[in-house]
Amino acid sequence: MNDQNMRFLVVDDFSTMRRIVRNLLKELGYSNVDEAEDGQVALHKLKNGVFDFVVTDWNMPNMTGIELLRQIRADAQLKHLPVLMVTAEAKKENIIEAATAGANGYIVKPFTAATLDEKLKKIFSNMAK
Amino acid sequence: MSDFGGMEDLLQDFLTESSELLSEVDNKLVELEKRPDDRALLNDIFRGFHTIKGGAGFLNVDPMVSLCHRTENLFDKLRNGEITLTPEIMDAILAATGVVRDMFGALSQGRQPIPADPELLHALDNVLEGKPALSDAPLVEHVHAPAAPVQAAAPASKPVPAPGTPDWDLLYNSLLGKEPPAPAHTQPAISPEPIIEHAPVHIPQVAPVSAPVIADPMQTLKPAPAAPLNKPATSSQQLAAPETTIRIDTVRLDQVLNLSGEIGLTKNRLTTLRTDIMAGKMDGSTLKALDEAIGQLDLLVGDLQNAVMKTRMQPIGRLFQKYPRLARDLARQLGKDVELVISGEETELDKTMLEDLNDPLVHLVRNAVDHGIETAEERAVSGKPSKAVVELSATQVGDHILIEITDDGRGMRPDVIRRKAIEKGLIDIETANSLDDKQSLQLIFLPGFSTKDQISSVSGRGVGMDVVKTNIQRLNGRIDIQSVVGEGSRFTISLPLTLAILPVLVVKVCDQPFAVPLAMVREIITIRQEQVQEVSGRATIVVRDEILSVRSLAHLIGWQETQLPQFGVLMQSAEHSFILAVDSFIGRDDVVIKPLQNIRPRGIAGATLSGDGSIVLVLDMEDLLASAHADNSAIMTSRLVEQF
Repeated sequence: MNDQNMRFLVVDDFSTMRRIVRNLLKELGYSNVDEAEDGQVALHKLKNGVFDFVVTDWNMPNMTGIELLRQIRADAQLKHLPVLMVTAEAKKENIIEAATAGANGYIVKPFTAATLDEKLKKIFSNMAK
Repeated sequence: MSDFGGMEDLLQDFLTESSELLSEVDNKLVELEKRPDDRALLNDIFRGFHTIKGGAGFLNVDPMVSLCHRTENLFDKLRNGEITLTPEIMDAILAATGVVRDMFGALSQGRQPIPADPELLHALDNVLEGKPALSDAPLVEHVHAPAAPVQAAAPASKPVPAPGTPDWDLLYNSLLGKEPPAPAHTQPAISPEPIIEHAPVHIPQVAPVSAPVIADPMQTLKPAPAAPLNKPATSSQQLAAPETTIRIDTVRLDQVLNLSGEIGLTKNRLTTLRTDIMAGKMDGSTLKALDEAIGQLDLLVGDLQNAVMKTRMQPIGRLFQKYPRLARDLARQLGKDVELVISGEETELDKTMLEDLNDPLVHLVRNAVDHGIETAEERAVSGKPSKAVVELSATQVGDHILIEITDDGRGMRPDVIRRKAIEKGLIDIETANSLDDKQSLQLIFLPGFSTKDQISSVSGRGVGMDVVKTNIQRLNGRIDIQSVVGEGSRFTISLPLTLAILPVLVVKVCDQPFAVPLAMVREIITIRQEQVQEVSGRATIVVRDEILSVRSLAHLIGWQETQLPQFGVLMQSAEHSFILAVDSFIGRDDVVIKPLQNIRPRGIAGATLSGDGSIVLVLDMEDLLASAHADNSAIMTSRLVEQF
């Protein structure tokens, strides 16, 4: 599954942040990346396209990242999609909330390409099990 | 050297996006003062700071992270009802947004911003701890406090999960990984150990206890004076370089693409038709097809021009949204209660105009609050509601944008303005007596005029209304005043939609066409010789009781007249109206001005092509008049008088 052609969806309401994440992914060799500006847009794109991985912010207007995660898990087509939560919320209760909602990983801003790589690898290896 | 080598692009994006965000936050803060319990507002503001913090973290702008972290937490507590908003807290927050803006200024110059004033951080920390914002809390407590929520929220050592409940620790670890979280960037809140041990390591990153506070206990222990928190944000706003990038709605870009595609198709059609016609096929249906194709091209090119123009259009709200905060701060400083009501934010204007419009509008808004609105006592005496209203609106009327700034203040007294203008030596008594009330109001646009004897620290900052007027005129716009004593004043700015396309009136002198900006044209009259009178050495014509001087265009550009001018174009210029005498007319046209390369004849703004392919010079009337004045206009006019 760890394939450079994997199609990523980066979800964040702040376009600078989307660009940052996109750049970091590119640094790791993943250049097949699409963007969405909130959970709603993301869900629409996910339902109408083929994606292999979702990297989403938590705090967004219209639909938050956690709500997006719940919707993904509740959707028969999408529920196996790996979701990495990217957020500045580092409170334990947030992390637990993400975990119970079915996040595959949780990464705290700001992070480096190396940290991101580590998270992705961990998620891939967990999925391969 | 820039502190942000290799990240300039990203930094630029960040600045553009977060400056917009901060302006929104600023506006919502002003809203929040009216509706302190509005959860949606609190949420939006929280998210604003949160987002800025997130971006700043990636760019390693630590002072901004540390400041936004506090404001974000504060709004988290506000929206959860843990603390309630007081004017004191509001001041601290507003001061914080001012500082963030300053930091943007530093960043836009490629510098790392200096950390926020420790007193401000301290005030915010106090609020977070539920203490009065400005108390001088003991430092120790201050350092300890942020650790508290962590300990409360982290029962990390809990050995065995209670039966039936999920193993939270396992979940937690599975998400974060077994190893301790990435050291440099970890938020202290994740770490189960007390923060203090980590503080020395984490200081530059996101530790809630920021370095300056610890490093400078004396500073922190000093009671914080209220004054610095109240300073208006604008006084500290650093002027960043004008933006050179633009954000365009993809829908608009697609339109451009579509239209150019269609034009391509029409061009193909025309190419085919040309081949036919060259081959001698000139029958009715070919010509009809040609006519259709050209008609379509005409339509498409017009649409394309519009679509391209639209990519430069930005809602004026981007400008307006900065002003409620400005008005609020200024009103508070002056001890007035003023509400700035904004409407028509969605009205769109060319981006370059938007930027150039900022200074005049800031000036007019400040002016309205400072000079237009009376003091609370004066308002009470005249029986007006204590809350004064300044309205700022924008509407599109035809191909013009109207911007109005209306206040319900004291109004302007024409007699006082006349007297001041005389006192300051701007006009003589004779001129003053010849001015009606409307003209008298125009005197405030004269350089060196300021209705207050004492320049206040607020409005009098070296720029006068003359600069406002000059700036508006540079945009081919006009500014008018209406004022009723005791009821208020209204400034109306009228602007063309764009500077790219200029509506002109094409006139003819000595068989040569010239274009004059239509914005300046009031009306067109015929000139009959018997109407021309000489008043103090100048040729004049009376139009509806208004004495207007006659300037011959041929003379203004230094030519000999070949015939007596037949028509007069009544022009409204900066300071005065006058009649431009010309031979004849061609008509009105929308032209695209091309600047002249290497030569810059006086009074010529540029050139354009007319429908038949000939070159038409576009006149810059201000420049033309100014240079005519320099050329000893007395002789010119007397010659003109002789001719008539």
